[in-house]
Amino acid sequence: MLGATTLLLAGSIAARASHDGPDAPAGRWWAPGSNRTFPAQADYADSTGTLRVLLTGGPLATKGHPFFTPVGPNGRACVTCHQPADAMSLSAATATERWQTTGGKDPLFAAYDGSNCPTLPQADRASYSLLLGYGLFRIQRPWPPRAAKGGAVTPDFDIEVARDPWGCNSGKYGPGAGNISVYRRPRPLANMKYLRAIGFAYDPKQGLPLALDPETGKPVSGNLMADGRARTLDAQMRDAAATHLELLEQMTPADMARIVDFESRIYTAQQADRTGGAVDVAGAEGGPAKLANSQAGQLGSIGKPVWSEFEAWEKPAPGLGPAQAAFRASVARGAHVFRDKTFLITDSTGINAPIGFGNPVRNSCVFCHNMSQMGNDVAPGQVDLGTTNQPFADPMPWLPLFRITCRKAPHPFYGRVIYTSDPGYALTTGRCADVGKITLQSLRGLSARAPYFSNGVAKDLRAVVDFYDRRYTIGYTEQEKRDLVNLMSVL
Amino acid sequence: MALLAMATVAAVEPPETVRFITCPTYRDTDAGRKSGCWLADDRATGRRYDVSAAPSKPDWNHEILVEGKAADAPDRCGGIVLDPVRTSVLAGTCTRHMLPAEGYPGNRFSLPKRNVAPMAAARAVPPGPYSTRTFRLFFGFDSAFLMYQYDDYLLDRAITWIRAAKPRTIVVTGYAASGPEMVSGRAIAEDEDIARDRAERVTEALVRLGIDRGIISVRTDTRPRPVDDPDADGLADASRRRVDIEARF
Repeated sequence: MLGATTLLLAGSIAARASHDGPDAPAGRWWAPGSNRTFPAQADYADSTGTLRVLLTGGPLATKGHPFFTPVGPNGRACVTCHQPADAMSLSAATATERWQTTGGKDPLFAAYDGSNCPTLPQADRASYSLLLGYGLFRIQRPWPPRAAKGGAVTPDFDIEVARDPWGCNSGKYGPGAGNISVYRRPRPLANMKYLRAIGFAYDPKQGLPLALDPETGKPVSGNLMADGRARTLDAQMRDAAATHLELLEQMTPADMARIVDFESRIYTAQQADRTGGAVDVAGAEGGPAKLANSQAGQLGSIGKPVWSEFEAWEKPAPGLGPAQAAFRASVARGAHVFRDKTFLITDSTGINAPIGFGNPVRNSCVFCHNMSQMGNDVAPGQVDLGTTNQPFADPMPWLPLFRITCRKAPHPFYGRVIYTSDPGYALTTGRCADVGKITLQSLRGLSARAPYFSNGVAKDLRAVVDFYDRRYTIGYTEQEKRDLVNLMSVL
Repeated sequence: MALLAMATVAAVEPPETVRFITCPTYRDTDAGRKSGCWLADDRATGRRYDVSAAPSKPDWNHEILVEGKAADAPDRCGGIVLDPVRTSVLAGTCTRHMLPAEGYPGNRFSLPKRNVAPMAAARAVPPGPYSTRTFRLFFGFDSAFLMYQYDDYLLDRAITWIRAAKPRTIVVTGYAASGPEMVSGRAIAEDEDIARDRAERVTEALVRLGIDRGIISVRTDTRPRPVDDPDADGLADASRRRVDIEARF
């Protein structure tokens, strides 16, 4: 069964490569140190059409550039896991393609975090099943947590390992030795203007003004990294260099500044759909150019409504074939479903508590995905959708399972004991109330970077919609589900 | 049915101020986002109140402390409207209960009067001269959480003034209403430690907003008296659960 899936994924990669746009650099895969020139615009075929990658300010010679240069001992660079063709993330399909192309010798498959656990036989493909099947990397967090400024955080919960399928939460890798391993998808390093934007001075999820960057003293958005452990790109780079790159020395300030400059200039979004055509025609304003040229941090409810980029497609344009017209109409309907279809949101920390919206609260997808053009949260932070916490999460026997026992006040919704495959933000704060909270995901370039959610449990966009439908008993019609999938496929 | 219920409610003269503990009921009126109704039955009187106007709303898993004043407002949810009103989520558990709309229209969302402007919006600089002034933030029972669209608004107003006035010192006093009181037949009292938690949280908030921690001193008081402050909305008991930010020159 696994073999059949792999062949299918590999086949789709080959098909996609043959349809890359004329501006795509030769070869979809950006190997570290390949010294190519990063173009100002590149188009890549993806699962539903074409992803466009824009680099504002013109092409970049990558020779010697720290984002593209393997600076650590394992041969990886930042670009290894943040591939342009994958919307600056890394899809499970691409990981599988690299395994097949290199026989597992690519630096992507570093024992430290590319394999399910370094203690497993590293020549065995099965040791990489999480990366190949779900696009997951091992994230090793300290236990108990450490504060951003250093020093230990005293957690208000105990953590026990209830299931350890790969052995990486036992022995020297386990909590008894000061470690917790969870498995997460790489977040896309693009459209950073939006992820770093600050709309309001207050974080209503925490009931405090925004946290400050300990280095600059300036407020930060809180939209970086799944568990919020790094608040700035500099902190994220230091974390990634020490872990994913296995770099023993600190990156230099000059190198970090060059990486931030690159990351601040890159925009990715779907540019065309195979059925619907270009997403920036007939009055529509999809694609990355609009992202690059718009002001970030605007609340859709008081400004430009989220996904109103596709409003013009509500009226059929003359001359379209039936399939193209139907697709565009579906996307336009999907934007309305996203904004207007309300449902009862229940038992989700970061939404229903402690913020005071009430439990339950009736709202729509745009309640959280509220920033114009981007769909991330203007009031940033972490929420628990139930993607990792039982009983809302799927069983996921391939992931570890932790038993959390709250020492002080019980969790507002789960009680004293919580079972989770990833404590998420709680691994940063040490708070029981934060178990399972994950930073909201970016919604751009989705067709290029399946699977979805922080743990890759949604293999495609339909699975994302189905998860929400189950979790919140929304009752989407089949048409509404298709419309939402079509909408998300062109973001 | 809804009209009959409205007539029944209207026939009862509600007390001006109420304070009771109960389990909340959610009425799923669907008039768009945030439109559901929160209802609370005072078991002592048998009256049902609409507490939807509370800045921090109930959790259907837990008991709530209701403090409010009856308003001369149309019944859109199936209860006597309390406004102003505060609902504090308590530790006691409740059986979840949700009612259908039953003909009630619910409350279409509108932005509360106390809402923080985006950072990009310029704040009017409060004119001088400046002299010692106290700002207040108010809290839910046994909570140090700064309420969204209430405390954040009050804090934003305070920090705008403080930034302009540049006081020499700031005294942050956290209060806890720790004297036991009888509500709905039971004695309730805030944990004395919540006074310090509130003060420290507000201090952290001020620091994050650019105030030098060195000019802030923290005090606590566990026997507060009510204050007559417009932003307490005349809810005397709730006004004791607060933090005072006193700017001195």
